[in-house]
Amino acid sequence: MKSDDPRLTAYLLGELDGPEREAVENALAQDPQLENTMNEIHRVVNQLETDRPAENGLTPEQIAAVKASAHKNRSSRRSVSRYAVISIGLSAAAACLILVLAPNPTSQPEHATSTVESSRPERVRAEDTAESTSGAVAEVTNVELARVEGAKFVAARVSDAPASPINESREIKSKEVTVQAAPGEPSVVAQSAAASESHSRTWSRLRGTGSGSGISSSISSSREISLLELPVDEFNTEAYAVIEPNAFRSAIDHPLSTFSIDVDTASYSNVRRFLAEDRRPPEGAVRTEELINYFTYDLPQPEAGAPFSISTDVTLAPWNQEHLLVRIALKGREIPRENLPPSNLVFLLDVSGSMRSADKLPLVQKSMKELLSQLGEEDSVAIVTYAGSSGLVLAPTSASEVGKITAAIDNLRAGGSTAGASGIRLAYEQARKSFLPDGNNRVILCTDGDFNVGTTSQSELVDLIEKERKSGVFLTVLGFGTGNLKDSTMELLADKGNGNYAYIDSISEARKTLVQQAGSTLHTIAKDVKIQVEFNPTTVAGYRLIGYESRLLAKEDFNNDKIDAGEIGSGHAVTALYEIVPAGEPVPGSPSVDPLKYQPVERDVPETAASASADLFTVKLRYKEPDGEQSKLIERAVETEPVPFEKASVDVRFAAAVAAFSAKLRGEDTSLSWDEIRGIARESLGQDPGSLRVEFIGLTEKAEHLPAQ
Amino acid sequence: MSAVDEIFDRTVERFQRPLVSYARSITGDLESARDAVQETFLRLAKQDLKSLEPRLPAWLFFVCRNCALDHTRKVVRLVPQAEPDLTLSDDSPSPDERAVINEDTARLRDLVALLPERQRELIALKFDAGFSYREIADLLSMSISNVGFQLHSAVTTLRNGWHSTPSHPGKPQ
Repeated sequence: MKSDDPRLTAYLLGELDGPEREAVENALAQDPQLENTMNEIHRVVNQLETDRPAENGLTPEQIAAVKASAHKNRSSRRSVSRYAVISIGLSAAAACLILVLAPNPTSQPEHATSTVESSRPERVRAEDTAESTSGAVAEVTNVELARVEGAKFVAARVSDAPASPINESREIKSKEVTVQAAPGEPSVVAQSAAASESHSRTWSRLRGTGSGSGISSSISSSREISLLELPVDEFNTEAYAVIEPNAFRSAIDHPLSTFSIDVDTASYSNVRRFLAEDRRPPEGAVRTEELINYFTYDLPQPEAGAPFSISTDVTLAPWNQEHLLVRIALKGREIPRENLPPSNLVFLLDVSGSMRSADKLPLVQKSMKELLSQLGEEDSVAIVTYAGSSGLVLAPTSASEVGKITAAIDNLRAGGSTAGASGIRLAYEQARKSFLPDGNNRVILCTDGDFNVGTTSQSELVDLIEKERKSGVFLTVLGFGTGNLKDSTMELLADKGNGNYAYIDSISEARKTLVQQAGSTLHTIAKDVKIQVEFNPTTVAGYRLIGYESRLLAKEDFNNDKIDAGEIGSGHAVTALYEIVPAGEPVPGSPSVDPLKYQPVERDVPETAASASADLFTVKLRYKEPDGEQSKLIERAVETEPVPFEKASVDVRFAAAVAAFSAKLRGEDTSLSWDEIRGIARESLGQDPGSLRVEFIGLTEKAEHLPAQ
Repeated sequence: MSAVDEIFDRTVERFQRPLVSYARSITGDLESARDAVQETFLRLAKQDLKSLEPRLPAWLFFVCRNCALDHTRKVVRLVPQAEPDLTLSDDSPSPDERAVINEDTARLRDLVALLPERQRELIALKFDAGFSYREIADLLSMSISNVGFQLHSAVTTLRNGWHSTPSHPGKPQ
């Protein structure tokens, strides 16, 4: 390979795919002179990346003028839009129906994957779509239909791609339509895209092409709404995904509930930060399962050989005495510190301008030193930074060289803008270089998550992370700072990169995550942990999974080892709560549907030996060893008689209080008052190491007295 | 403020600098670049933002390109390539950011300004807009391999220029 080979630059810019990348890497390994050239190119590219954002922009007057014009434009138009939306909605719905009934749908397989696997309920709002109606006739040649678990709405999207290539048409028109269906209806998301033409000619990546992993394709769609769903908070560019709470489901129609575990806790510290500032957290920032999992619970150690123990409890729901509350809790094996495998840690630090404030980079530096104090001489630390350009600050260095590492930490400075992708690539490269076959190989990404230069699209970042995780390197994402936090991006990255995500708002939180719980944060003992619960329709009329909205899986995904799921670390505990409607009770929100004509009239459950038993449900768990590719299965049937709520363990009661707190913050219906929630929490403090539960009670008071929105 | 206004404002904040930088690679001077970008956003204000959203960056750069080209047609430029304009505007970077604009940056800017127009445009699209080769190829109706070739050749020119201009030993006072 010669120095004038364009692939050299393309390589650095991340434009090459597998074989070509390898070709360049091989050539580099064999030719020191070429490597020299590459370094020079790297320097130029870095400089270009650093330099660009510092360029001048519009003047403040121009910005004000532009904004004013846009706002005026819109307010004069809004009144007309509603009617038009309805009419498009109806025609779009009609188009979908017709195509669904067609015996031979023309849908292309790659399109099909992009929505069918979408398990994250999303809401697309229909505001302000009216103007694109004029003269636009949707050519629907391809329809995809997907059933989204637990969602309560119907969205139909019709986009008519430009008939001519983009560079000939100045205006690109497309339409997005939402039809709101009655709550509780089975949900259908229909997307119709105009022909493959749009696929090849649209140059912003409209949708992921299905990279094999199930949930991955939901990303492309969540990316589509990302700009639209930002919380309306002035001077604040934090971004949260929309969470649609899980609805009650009938145990006859949907006996299986499947989800991936989530050991993240970032949502709790983030919510706490909002409340401390007397602000209401955006609903999308409140993830119930992360709130519950923030606390430590007293759970049995696993039996010998098993990576975790499973506990189940059944009690009466404190907010509805007719319903049961079920807790399923996993506890990962606690590995004593002296037995922990050596760590190969690569810190990937965001040192962009946005990280300058005291609660960001300076806190990152302090946190790193906290972690450093936990490491031994067998462990190694490397530091990679990114800010427009990315660079290696510290090559893998034994943790015993404290002075050298500390100096590198102290020398970090913030400046420039963020190009996450090249940094991520470089960090994984370093981790692979000093890979410990029996060790804990991990990239620790510290950022406010604002990836705004370079590979900006979320789906591309996720593709990158998914590619890198195959190397056996795990990912920990630590979110820092306020005002710019891209919560959903970070959760997603951790989710895809075989990792976890914590939000660090203070040095005490850094100590909790990196020192007290270093084992669970940094040492994975099982990966791709999925839970599937099968309910017995003889004893259970309906159920509702509390939280885990972003972790739902299709029932088929449970046995599919290709589907990525959550990781569990040493000593980690995971709690999932179900609210169960016992047989004979009405299932709330269940739609009234006319009797089906072509189904067998008798919809009673056929007796089987198992269904005749008193079992409420069976929990099934699948997990893989950290370096394994084949999953293992654990199964357990549960028939426990419910105990009165007051008699339930303190941990169960406290988790219920947290769940109710989350429901309140998210504006969901709950019969419990703030006082009652506090009452439950107060009586279930237990040992409360670190006084986290006491702090929670304080938060409920803050939340109660927030100014109304 | 409605959600859509909010999105619009955010779009302006997020893209204005890369767009000005890109427009400047076409117009050569800051003022017409700013005018072109302002015009771009005024056109965006008339669009349906929500339906545009997935293609927003592409749309912005495409429209911006046309606006910038309009400007170059209107203005008969005496000097084909303007001197790089290093003056800082009102919204100039903070002192910390200014420290980042060091001599390397200044040298590189000089070198970029000497590149052929097409290559300057490619650099702006790659590094300001963060577009992939494919996206750039679509935008400029070039082949992907030509994008790769042109960018590599631009980088090579910069690299050679960089290493032939003497680097000042020690920091300038």
